[in-house]
Amino acid sequence: MNKVFKALADPTRRKVLQLLRRRPMTAGELSEHFAVSKPTMSAHFSVLREADLIDAGKRGTTITYRLKLSVLEDALLGFSQAFGIGVGNAGPTVDTAPEITKGRTS
Amino acid sequence: MITKRLAVAVALAVIILAVAAGLRYAEGAGTLGAEGARRIMQVLVGLSLAAYANFMPKQIGRARRSPEAESRTQAALRVGGWSMTLAGLAYAGLWALAPLSVADVASMIVVGAALAVTFGYAIWSFTVCRSAPVGG
Repeated sequence: MNKVFKALADPTRRKVLQLLRRRPMTAGELSEHFAVSKPTMSAHFSVLREADLIDAGKRGTTITYRLKLSVLEDALLGFSQAFGIGVGNAGPTVDTAPEITKGRTS
Repeated sequence: MITKRLAVAVALAVIILAVAAGLRYAEGAGTLGAEGARRIMQVLVGLSLAAYANFMPKQIGRARRSPEAESRTQAALRVGGWSMTLAGLAYAGLWALAPLSVADVASMIVVGAALAVTFGYAIWSFTVCRSAPVGG
């Protein structure tokens, strides 16, 4: 559950989940919505995958992400969105991503 | 993954049986009335339903061919998960707080309505998806 809270604490990751609510999207399609580098987006995807909030399916060279939220996680996402948790961090500068990208990429 | 799910299901069944046996014993010993035992059991059933339905949207399965089918499936699982979870909580709440005569009928209506919403939405999604143009 700790991983879920960590994943939902970041506005960029919450935006990713909101985009995936509409339909599954490729990594490229998702990245288009953010003014951040690909490694940073990759790091965000990694955090979401580790928390088991998204599913990644590879077809050829394309990775397609699908939403994988339980009802409780969905409600938590709604709450954190409604109360604007971490809104000050939204946008191209993501506080946690550079640290994450040091260790791994996806 | 299947083993884990099976283990959870067996554990839940064991808990329900153990609670039922405990309540039966308490009833026999005179520490709990028949109404109380029935209410506790039904609350447990409602919470089990909510706990199970909570994970329903996570069972996304294999990737579908079309994006349309994928989004429809995702939406159907989400609607089903939410309606059954809320129904489970309402079921537990009714059995915990409402008079027995009300809880008896209302709990069935709540779960029935949630099932209707779940299956209705799934069937509607399937129908829309089938009638959509290929590749859409």
